[in-house]
Amino acid sequence: MNEIATVLDRAGILTPEQRQHWKMAWLSTVDHKRIGVLYMVTGLVFFIFAGVEALLIRLQLAVPNSTLLQPDTYNMLFTMHGTTMIFLVAMPVLFGLANYIVPLQIGARDMAFPRLNAYSFWLVPFGGILLHFSFLAGGAPAVGWFAYAPLSETAYSSQPGVDYWALSLLVLGIGSVGANINFIATVLCSRAPHMTLRRLPLFSWMIFVNAFLVILALPVLNAGLVMILIDRLLNTHFFLVPGGSAIMWQHIFWAFGHPEVYIVAIPAFAILSEIIPVFSRKPIFGYEFVAGSTVAIAFLSLGVWAHHMFTTGLGHTIDLFFVASSMLIAIPTGVKVLNWSATMIGGRLRFDTPMLFCIAALVQFLVAGLTGVSHASAALDWQTKNSYYLVAHFHFVFVGLIVFAILGALHYWIPKTSGRMLSERLGKWTFWLMVIGFNMTFIIQHFLGLAGMPRRVYTYADLPGWAWMNMLSTIGAFFMAAASVLFVWNLIISLLNGRKAGDNPWHAWTLEWATSSPPPHENFHYLPPLRSRRPLWDVAHPDAPDPVVGSRGEIDQFKPEKNKTSIVAFIMSETGFFLVLILAFLYYNAAPQAGPNPHELDLFKTGLFSLCLFASSFTIWRAETGLRNNNQGKMIGWLSATIVLGGIFIGGQGLEYWHLFKSGVDVNSNLFATTFFTLTGFHGLHVCVGLVALLVLLGLALAGDSKKRPWPGLDAIGLYWHFVDVVWVFVLSVVYILPRLR
Amino acid sequence: MSTEQFFLTAWTWNPLVLIIAGVGLAAYLFVFRGEGRPAWLLLALSVFVLTLVSPLNALANGYLFSAHMLQHILLLLIVPAFFILSLPRSLSLRWRPRFFAHPVAGWIAGVGAMWFWHWPTLCNAAVASRSVYALQTVSLLVLGILFWIQVLAPREEERLSPPGAVLYLFSACVTCSALGVILTFSPVTVCSIYALPVGDRLGIWETIRTGWGFSPEKDQQIGGLLMWVPMCLIYLGAIFAQIPRWFGEAPAASPATQRL
Repeated sequence: MNEIATVLDRAGILTPEQRQHWKMAWLSTVDHKRIGVLYMVTGLVFFIFAGVEALLIRLQLAVPNSTLLQPDTYNMLFTMHGTTMIFLVAMPVLFGLANYIVPLQIGARDMAFPRLNAYSFWLVPFGGILLHFSFLAGGAPAVGWFAYAPLSETAYSSQPGVDYWALSLLVLGIGSVGANINFIATVLCSRAPHMTLRRLPLFSWMIFVNAFLVILALPVLNAGLVMILIDRLLNTHFFLVPGGSAIMWQHIFWAFGHPEVYIVAIPAFAILSEIIPVFSRKPIFGYEFVAGSTVAIAFLSLGVWAHHMFTTGLGHTIDLFFVASSMLIAIPTGVKVLNWSATMIGGRLRFDTPMLFCIAALVQFLVAGLTGVSHASAALDWQTKNSYYLVAHFHFVFVGLIVFAILGALHYWIPKTSGRMLSERLGKWTFWLMVIGFNMTFIIQHFLGLAGMPRRVYTYADLPGWAWMNMLSTIGAFFMAAASVLFVWNLIISLLNGRKAGDNPWHAWTLEWATSSPPPHENFHYLPPLRSRRPLWDVAHPDAPDPVVGSRGEIDQFKPEKNKTSIVAFIMSETGFFLVLILAFLYYNAAPQAGPNPHELDLFKTGLFSLCLFASSFTIWRAETGLRNNNQGKMIGWLSATIVLGGIFIGGQGLEYWHLFKSGVDVNSNLFATTFFTLTGFHGLHVCVGLVALLVLLGLALAGDSKKRPWPGLDAIGLYWHFVDVVWVFVLSVVYILPRLR
Repeated sequence: MSTEQFFLTAWTWNPLVLIIAGVGLAAYLFVFRGEGRPAWLLLALSVFVLTLVSPLNALANGYLFSAHMLQHILLLLIVPAFFILSLPRSLSLRWRPRFFAHPVAGWIAGVGAMWFWHWPTLCNAAVASRSVYALQTVSLLVLGILFWIQVLAPREEERLSPPGAVLYLFSACVTCSALGVILTFSPVTVCSIYALPVGDRLGIWETIRTGWGFSPEKDQQIGGLLMWVPMCLIYLGAIFAQIPRWFGEAPAASPATQRL
């Protein structure tokens, strides 16, 4: 094991003191650079898993009527391949990259919350192990990465694979939300004084915009996962007849799933926007358009999920609306493609490996975009859905755009992280093997799909032309595998013997290149003056600096307090979660059903307990006022009152549950009971979390910690507490009051 | 009545609407005397008049929920927005009561209007009673103005900052989408008066049901979808308009001619 330490040491990643305890130095780190590397290494490990799964799939499909794999094994493999590639490869690697680069680009010392950062990272290996443990626990999930109900229900998938799948995605989802709340807080609150938001490098800007997409989309999936887990473990039927709806699962999954595509695509756009200008030796063409179109893509992507469901029989009317709105996304993405192309036009292009990968990503993404638009047409979608045409389309997005962009980014930034250049010669080999292999594998699949080959079927008949096309596709996959091995080999030898990179090997212009490679623990010893979007250009060309953005010495006035910022982001995220649960409640209770119903609830008692909860919003506001007026006694008094009132509410809810249980109402009695317990239960859980936070604050205050100024915890937790109360306003109206009005 | 006949004859030349439009135009020209941007006002008034006299109004009046929804969107989002855009840039709206000046009040006005008037009882009452309908129309216009002032106020300093406006508009979009989703997928009828029509003043049920293929379910679905997708796109459009505002304060990016 000492060899590893030697390698890391030689690459300058470990200081001599840390060398003694290098394992602990990595395991316990809260440094954003190490966490970034950990994210990427974890992603690489799972990439090997998912890559081997892909090769097995292609081997099975190499010849018709193959019996290499059992049908069930094949199902597990494509499920695990998809889930792993998205949740354990693409997301961790991109988040890791952002983790490493964003604080450097904005001239920050670290992420806003280093410990939250470490926590978010460690959830990735935890979730990954949880998912893969299913192999040992009776079989991996075999339901596809979107786990459509009712196949994913216990009646049809009785093995615990789906349970592990849902639990692990829940864990990973929480980690992703944590990481992205951190990105938001970092970009808003930790920028260097002159790094105004309008001067942000495009990479950081897009990661920032993307972070909002993550915190808004992931909770929707989390709500769905919670529902399918309740279905599976508590025998309810959210997604099963009678009463339940399998289509509901699809809505929830794709309301997350469509933004998810952009969650991994926007960081890839970010990479392209950073690398293409540097290797064209020109500033990006139309910074504002590239930045603005990201916002447009992010918002549009949240509202068009129904185009994944054209074939489910939503009806002609619904299809029409989503055909139109889905096609709109082509506009901002087109703007981006034009801007990148215009950046290259007239530039002095340098075709180093990072640039080659970015150009390839641009070209491949264009194809992916075109087949994407063809899927936006419902009529065409009906013909090609569930065929290899679709498989080819999304692999052009996920491999052609995202993996290529990631490879470009790694070749570009690894010299910064290790201080060693990767071999250009091996890099070019990797590139050509990858591009040729990729196109061999996936171009042909468009034709297979149009010829009618269905996806997710473990073998196929020996129809004319199918055999050679599939064989070609399989051979291509092995080219890609060879490229991946070559890349890892390149990585290892560069860490051992790579040429020294120096601070700025690519003559780039953003702040991460202003510090040493690898950067010191504190990132910067000093920062160059920041006046434009390319500070290092200004340093190198004092005679022809970029135009100043904003005013010369402008210091960003917009620097919110980081605890409050993170809580606001968290509240936005939680709003998404509760919105899904509330909509589900309304949907499932629209028609009266047999068994327990809302009229049996005791509105009077609940109203009394609700008053306590609402009053606690007032008391915590008084506590905040007390803190502001430096009145410790008052603050502690009102804080205690808040805790007591919250406790009474929880006690009241417990009492209500107890009465319901006693009268035989259980979570699986009917859909009313299921949705009632789910919605009020999760609200109760949030109240409990708030109570724990308040108790911690109370303990700290009693220990005298609140005499420190500033003491931002109370304001932040106060916001969360108000949020929990507001959610209850909605729950109370929807569950208790609304049904009585009808 | 055939489709053509219907579109040719079903114009409700409500004198009150025309008078309001005429008086509004005259008052505008008198008060601002060429200072404002009358093109926007003409747009606002044309949409206003067309919404209330064209066959759309006839359809919304007891025939189609989806027509009612379209009318609703035009009156709440389009007419007030165009109206505010027509005001002269120098006009301060600071005189408005402080309570209405708060963004939360504006947000509740704009979003609340949608939820309030789609409460089944009120939705039906607005069709059944002309006075409730008039009240609804006026309230939509007023609430729409209160909503848009936050984003479109003539003076830059009286508007929300671009990030604030994005949050304001996006949360409005989500909230309206939620209602749209409920209407689209609701297995029960929200506005029953459209599903169980009492009469057929114009004699076009036959055309609507068989000729156009509008079943009551489909009608409600289109209504919900109008609120879910195009209405949300109006908010998104306003969000996209924040982008040039945000970057407009900074000088343009460096010219592409500058090379290494």
